[in-house]
Amino acid sequence: MKTRAIEIRLKIPDNAAYTAMAALERLGVAAERVERAEIWVFEVEDDADGLLVEVMRNESLFNPNKHAARELETPSPRAGEVWIEELGDDPDLRARLGGKGVRGVRSAKRYVGWRLLDRQGKPVTKDVAQNAADVLLCNPAIERALL
Amino acid sequence: MKARVAIPVFPGTNSEEETLRILRDVGLDAEIVHWSRGDRLFQYDAFVLPGGFAYEDRVRAGAIAAHDRMMDAVVDAAIGGKLVLGLCNGAQMLLEAGLVPGTGAIRRPTAAFTHNGPDGKFVCRHVFVKLSVAPERSPITAALAPGALIPAWAAHGEGRLAAPPEHLQEIVDGGHLAFVYTHANGSTDADAIPNQSALGAAALVNVEGNVLAIMPHPERDAWTFNHPDSPEGRAARGNAERMLRPSGGAALFESFAKGLALV
Repeated sequence: MKTRAIEIRLKIPDNAAYTAMAALERLGVAAERVERAEIWVFEVEDDADGLLVEVMRNESLFNPNKHAARELETPSPRAGEVWIEELGDDPDLRARLGGKGVRGVRSAKRYVGWRLLDRQGKPVTKDVAQNAADVLLCNPAIERALL
Repeated sequence: MKARVAIPVFPGTNSEEETLRILRDVGLDAEIVHWSRGDRLFQYDAFVLPGGFAYEDRVRAGAIAAHDRMMDAVVDAAIGGKLVLGLCNGAQMLLEAGLVPGTGAIRRPTAAFTHNGPDGKFVCRHVFVKLSVAPERSPITAALAPGALIPAWAAHGEGRLAAPPEHLQEIVDGGHLAFVYTHANGSTDADAIPNQSALGAAALVNVEGNVLAIMPHPERDAWTFNHPDSPEGRAARGNAERMLRPSGGAALFESFAKGLALV
């Protein structure tokens, strides 16, 4: 089994990311730009080929009119990123994969990935990303933030 | 002089009109306050946060609104002891703002109304909620009878109370569980709960008792024409004036109005 991560992001303007950026600015978080993506971390069979294509064929996960998808080099947050995981039994996860599935996938976790960039377009520090999670992006009663 | 009640409206709010009507029908001087006029909010005696999808539920339901400038006045009012009632999305805001159950820091939530169980789907269903604290626990419920049953409409995709076990225990131990879902006869079981909410919770109240967050909509079952098959509905048939009288879910707002005299 291998762990692999697919990032699905909007290729149209992301109003939610813009709203989050405005709220974070009001809360004093020093991020000049905020990007958002859906991150799927899959446990897949070793010989599972074409994972990205399989994900893009699942119309519950991917809409080619508005999404772009790519496989991440590592299944963990990059610099300036915070991934938000919903705790407990996520009914939304079952609903999203329900009936469709992805060939070769044994299990899946869904995260909302937030990427924060500074004025120079560089990823913010881990402290800034942690602060963003603390003040807005993560409700610790129902979510967990990965940095 | 009538108490002045503000109904703050955020981009995406959708239940302000029925909220306004029922508050006026129970004798309050209620006004809708648009987000562009948030600077006015400091003038009001109480607040009712209506339902809807403030900021399209971006980030999480109620999260952006909870940190909005409009909420500064609501938070200040709540801390100052004024009455604050949140309905559906308004309830989600109050939890995200940390005002309810209020066992942590302000704007540091310890619980949430989140995705419905079992499948995350939106539910629209008539429900009954039962007062599960002593009426005097909150000025908002003080005029209700012990164990009062309130009819309402559950209309939400994210109404399931969720929190870590220690916070759920705090909710129980601190008397924060204001209303639970029941059947029409007041009994409860899993079928009475439309969303698998923890503790069967429909509403929570804060430590001080002046802030109440309720997920279903009593304002959508608050006039006799909303429940024409009830005893008062059957008695009102053919009589328009009686059909238009507040009843059912109006009881919570009548109690809210009376509670304003207590604070």
